[in-house]
Amino acid sequence: MALTLRRNASDRALPYVLLAPAVAVLLLLTIYPLIYSIRISLQGESGNWTVQNFTRLLHDQFFLSALAHTLIYAVSALTIEFFLGMALALLLDTQMRGRAIYRSLLLLPMMLPPIVVAVVWRLMLNSDFGALNGTLKAFGLHTESLTWTASPKLALVSVIVADVWQWTPFMFLILLAGLQAIPQEPYEAALIDGAGRWQTFLHVTLPLLKPAILIALLLRTMDLLRVFDQIFILTEGGPGFATETVSLYIYRTAFRFANFGYAAAMSFVLLLITNVISLGYMRMLQTRD
Amino acid sequence: MLRPDMRSPRESRAILVVVCIALAVACYSGCRSNRAGQKTLTLAINSGVEGDALRQAAKDYEQQTGVHIQIAEFPYANLFEKELIDLNSHTGAYDLIMLDDPWFPKFASLNVLTDLGPLLKNRGQDKPDEDFIATSLALCRNPYQTGSLYALPYVGNSQLFFYRKDLFQKYNLTPPATWEEVLNAARTIGEQESSGAPGGGKVSGYVMRAAQGNAAVADFMPIFWAFGGEMFDSSGQPAVNSPEGIAALKFMIELGKYSPPGYASFNADEVGAHLLQGTAAMSINWPAWISSFNDQAKSKVAGKMEFGQMPGAKNPGRAEIGNWLIAIPGSARSPDAAMDFLLWATSAAQMKLSAERGNPPTRRSVFTDPQLQAKFPSYPAQLTSLENSRPRPRTPLWNEIENAFGIYLSKANSGELSAEDAMNQANTEIQRIVAR
Repeated sequence: MALTLRRNASDRALPYVLLAPAVAVLLLLTIYPLIYSIRISLQGESGNWTVQNFTRLLHDQFFLSALAHTLIYAVSALTIEFFLGMALALLLDTQMRGRAIYRSLLLLPMMLPPIVVAVVWRLMLNSDFGALNGTLKAFGLHTESLTWTASPKLALVSVIVADVWQWTPFMFLILLAGLQAIPQEPYEAALIDGAGRWQTFLHVTLPLLKPAILIALLLRTMDLLRVFDQIFILTEGGPGFATETVSLYIYRTAFRFANFGYAAAMSFVLLLITNVISLGYMRMLQTRD
Repeated sequence: MLRPDMRSPRESRAILVVVCIALAVACYSGCRSNRAGQKTLTLAINSGVEGDALRQAAKDYEQQTGVHIQIAEFPYANLFEKELIDLNSHTGAYDLIMLDDPWFPKFASLNVLTDLGPLLKNRGQDKPDEDFIATSLALCRNPYQTGSLYALPYVGNSQLFFYRKDLFQKYNLTPPATWEEVLNAARTIGEQESSGAPGGGKVSGYVMRAAQGNAAVADFMPIFWAFGGEMFDSSGQPAVNSPEGIAALKFMIELGKYSPPGYASFNADEVGAHLLQGTAAMSINWPAWISSFNDQAKSKVAGKMEFGQMPGAKNPGRAEIGNWLIAIPGSARSPDAAMDFLLWATSAAQMKLSAERGNPPTRRSVFTDPQLQAKFPSYPAQLTSLENSRPRPRTPLWNEIENAFGIYLSKANSGELSAEDAMNQANTEIQRIVAR
């Protein structure tokens, strides 16, 4: 009797014992740094408590324009990737020939490390030696003014194009999986009711695809808002400040200017924005109409 | 009861605990093993030709003295942050660090470097020997030139003016002594050589790098100084938008018209590529590129490039200095052993070896060594440039100032802002940084 009781007690403890290492790692690597960064974001250079890191954000032209670039970048890339990904998914959801080959080819860009993609695009977009201007020249076009990553007007477009090239496949993959999970019955019912292709798409496919769409948008939005590596390689935020995003500015502030408190404050603002947007998606995901 | 092949929960737990302890012990002893035994020094170096020379020197030192040397190598972009974090948190991970001279005021202001004065005194020297070039040694003192010594100079880079002597001869141009002559030469070459490049392309009269950050600032400073600009006035207030400063930026933009399109995003690589491909005729550049020009495999202009002094304007031309220094962190575990290595590595004999490995020295005797001068014909020009060079403004806020200044220079060169607006906005931003 006493023995079984003890065993029961230790059995009950077992899950906690087994969870302990994971919790410890989490505490050490996530919770502690989080609390630490909250602390330093609220401290001045001399360690005094202050909110000046946050008030400074409101007057910092560099931060505000980096934030604007981040939002423009995220919204444009997300929109283009969504429509392209949707079109590709719908196209390859049909019984066309060789679709297995197209699917694998389309997934290639996503498999490459972002750094590699950025280096490849940087070379292609080089205005003197790059493939893009080389091709345009071969068609007899004047490329003198097409300096891509060096032009304040085209630089942001250039980095968006590189992002679209790499991440449309991700959109496509999730949407295709969503499309293939839709059962045949609603389509048959729509057919019997005499719905046209467009009506079927609007009233059957889209509502049933909603969870997949929202998941895809959510994941891409979070990635786009924290974009760093591609832009760092492609333009390093330039020319001037034309493609500087919040992540790049945070990196510079922390590791170049050694102002960790201010960098932490900016990170929290970025985190907050990302969270608010994500919550919006989550809410839409939970509402059933 | 229990099947023979099933372990009781208690047994499993015991096994888990044993495994964990074993792992922990293995890890701990693994981390400690290299600390045991003979003396160990850890060096943080730049991955590149400068760091390579020091790494090879470290190997020799190990053989000669038995002191074990560990190397922590980082790319230029990460070295500063690694060192900053280590020095600031006093982990003592490094006994010696290589640092680029613009970082020095930051480290010195944080009080995280060892004062080398007392260590020199213990060795019977009251100051580093006279053979070191004055402009290089001045970088190692805080405050600049006059204060205590916190580092020794290892690699003595300073900018040179590169130009194509074949094209200058072809158009009867004299080596440019002023920026006005540079502009005229750039115009002549740019207009005449519309298909003169290897492969039939255009030769640009000039090429510069105006990407935001370090690149734009490094290429602008010699023009800025020559035109009489100063970043800070005599009272220490930012003054880049002085009439002289604005004139200098206007001149840079004018010169940019003879640079390849897109130069507002160029870094060292693009400038190097244009010069090596023979598609540009002049530039400000660093000595590290010299050897590439005479390498037939890389260069289409072998033997055609000349290396001269910085042109002047209102003021005589002066190059920007960019030296690699070696310092001992305040948290170093064995500062004395580190000092022994530092003195050895920066001695004339070792610096000659480093020079043979491709690094410009910081000692006069090495620059004037006949053997080396035969191997590196540009040494006399480099020595003159280095001795007349100027440092970037010595402030711990330099990284931040350079970033802001570079952004506005790049904006002006890419046509986004006028020279006046760029300089005014840059000045406001620098004021904000200094006041903070």
